[in-house]
Amino acid sequence: MRARKSRNNYLTVGLIMTTAAVCLAVLGVFWTPYSTTAMSAAEKFCAPSLRHLFGTDNYGRDIFSRVMKGMGTTTLIGSLVVLLSGSAGILIGALTGYCGGWIDEAVMRLTDAVNGFPSILLALVMITILGSGRQNLILSLGIVFAPSFIRIVRSEFIRLRDADYISRARMMGVGRGRILFVHILPNILSTFWVSVMIGFNNAILAESGMSYLGIGVKPPDASLGNMLSDAQGYLEMAPWYALAPGLAIVWIVLGISLFGEGIRRIPG
Amino acid sequence: MIKVEDLTVAFGGLKAVKQVSLEIGDGEIFGVVGESGSGKSVTALAIMGLLNEEASVLSGRITMDGVTLLEAGRKRDKALYRKLQGSRMSMVFQEPMTSLNPTRRAGAQVEEVLRLHPEAWRDPAAPRERAGAVRRQMREKVLEMFSAVGLREPEKVYNSYPHQLSGGMRQRVMIAMAVILNPQLIVCDEPTTALDVTVQNQIIGLLKRINERQKNSMLFITHDLNLARRICDRVAVMKDGRVVETGRTGELFAAPREAYTRNLIEAVPTRMGRIGGERRIAAEKILEVKDLSVYYSDGSSRPFAGGGKQCAVSHATFDIRRGEVLGLVGESGCGKTSLSKAVLGMNRDIEGSVVHRTVRPQMIFQDPYSSLNPSRTVGWLLQEPLIARGRLDASQAMSRADREAAARDMLRRVGMEETYFDRKPSQLSGGQRQRVSIAQALITGPGLVIADEPVSALDVTMQRQILELMRALQEEMELSCLFISHDINVIYQMSDRIMVMKEGRILEIGEREEIFRDPKEEYTKQLLAES
Repeated sequence: MRARKSRNNYLTVGLIMTTAAVCLAVLGVFWTPYSTTAMSAAEKFCAPSLRHLFGTDNYGRDIFSRVMKGMGTTTLIGSLVVLLSGSAGILIGALTGYCGGWIDEAVMRLTDAVNGFPSILLALVMITILGSGRQNLILSLGIVFAPSFIRIVRSEFIRLRDADYISRARMMGVGRGRILFVHILPNILSTFWVSVMIGFNNAILAESGMSYLGIGVKPPDASLGNMLSDAQGYLEMAPWYALAPGLAIVWIVLGISLFGEGIRRIPG
Repeated sequence: MIKVEDLTVAFGGLKAVKQVSLEIGDGEIFGVVGESGSGKSVTALAIMGLLNEEASVLSGRITMDGVTLLEAGRKRDKALYRKLQGSRMSMVFQEPMTSLNPTRRAGAQVEEVLRLHPEAWRDPAAPRERAGAVRRQMREKVLEMFSAVGLREPEKVYNSYPHQLSGGMRQRVMIAMAVILNPQLIVCDEPTTALDVTVQNQIIGLLKRINERQKNSMLFITHDLNLARRICDRVAVMKDGRVVETGRTGELFAAPREAYTRNLIEAVPTRMGRIGGERRIAAEKILEVKDLSVYYSDGSSRPFAGGGKQCAVSHATFDIRRGEVLGLVGESGCGKTSLSKAVLGMNRDIEGSVVHRTVRPQMIFQDPYSSLNPSRTVGWLLQEPLIARGRLDASQAMSRADREAAARDMLRRVGMEETYFDRKPSQLSGGQRQRVSIAQALITGPGLVIADEPVSALDVTMQRQILELMRALQEEMELSCLFISHDINVIYQMSDRIMVMKEGRILEIGEREEIFRDPKEEYTKQLLAES
């Protein structure tokens, strides 16, 4: 065969960026250079230096430490949202796609209804009803993001349910559950992972957006979104305050996007 | 007229065509025969100037009437080809559905050729005419061409979109497009492979008539030796990118010089003898079908999509005895697949009765690329039927080691080495996949198997091997088999009894010799005459 000329740079760069972000976030759970909550009037608005890599904020807290914590919070929420909506997508999408009929029709109209509203707005409404807080944020974003996963999984299952090898599994007498999750599922995973990457990015952006609006993660806990929101008032005085969480968001989203694209380009 | 000298074409490091030389004379039909991957299509594309950028011409050249079209080391002359393509050389492709534009009417697509090459059909010295007049002339010319290629309602076809036409009609439109400017060379790449046998014969007849009338040269690419024998004046046999043998058709078929050619000719199914020895057929009936009608709804079962019922099979009655092969022959759309699905219990919308005295009859599919789960290994695929059986019936449950041993044993019995046990389907060839497919269907010893065109997607030499394998296993396992094919010669080789189907009805059933010697129905006679 012909030697593969193009290396998969997307995968390499994406993997490096994502790993770096995850390492920093995980480290932030156990150790940060400074306390993320200790305030100090003497060290307000220090510019970035070796002592404070990203400077300090309006309460004299170390921004680098808070970004580490914030990345942890944000990626954790993003992951849980994707876990929730992704599993719902696989379960419901597989069932409706494979079985078709009335259930399929009903679920599809329901997802249409959810898709009909802007997702952030819908999540906002749900949080207003459920009350704010992390669990509710995760739950409402999970519900809002589920339809896109359901649709993707469903269309893949529809594509494969009449494949010859699936007809054959039916003829052998393989049970329905096993056909769904042992015979069909492995064949849709590459498509699914790509949509998980996209979903994860959307979840991170949504979390940041909600926290920015003050209905996500509450201070003094750090999240990239609420840091941005705090920083807004000091944009001219301390531009590094807004820049740090902003760059962190861009870093994560870009890394994951490249990673997802890399997965998509894996041949076969 | 066309001369190919010492042509070598490579894709990356892989040589697809190696030092091929051939010459096509004026008015000659020249056949290139070979199995898939033999380089026949690449040769045709090189002549047509349709090689893509990745292809590099390493040696040789192609000339047409002394004018060099393609030469190794020289830049391809795109302008020259643009002038030639369509007007002096044209091509008929295999799949008329994808080679016609689905969004434009058939007539407009053929007119396009006239519009692109006005010099080829209008006198350049003639005074300029109004656009409307030209358009009318083109339309007339296209309609004339449509009736010349045997389209019965040219006006209607002119205004139809490709999906509104049948496969045969689409191929006629393609041919009209290829011959309307009376080119010197027509390249036909497997022009009838996607068509039914009866339609195939009409198209072959049409190409031959065009050749006689217009005296153009034809390059006819095919994997089907019978076809080449019927239409070509001279034939070149290709293998692994090389021309193995070239000769006049009659001489080449009567006395092939090369061993490969001989093998190829012998592999073609004929009505000479059958595969396998005498059979033991018990009186016991394994399958009894009585007055079976099968329906399908043309909408889906979705609540907002209404849809009527169509009858795919009507009042079918037949049976299969233990150890017997019943051949089912008919063209696409005759209800063969609907019938087999109903027998397997996969279609519940039926009337009449299907009784089979066997556990879980299995099916062998036509396309070895879609009948094996691509994300699993051969070993897994062969064990899965045993696991499924064990779950349904606890007395048949097997230990992991027993299952693996049974799977390895089955793999050996279909003639494959154990090293394939851990491979995935994508690492196997078409023939190997079909072997695994057969192994998967037979590993539980199902008693009744439906084989739906099991060799149609394979090369002739591979076909022969798979048929022999199926035959051997069938005798060994005392298997009953409903063997479906469009190729009546394959049916002859494999079957004990034969059933002929047309438009959802069984026309006749009889012993093999009876059907072949003394067919009762006109349609059967036609099928026999055309193969």
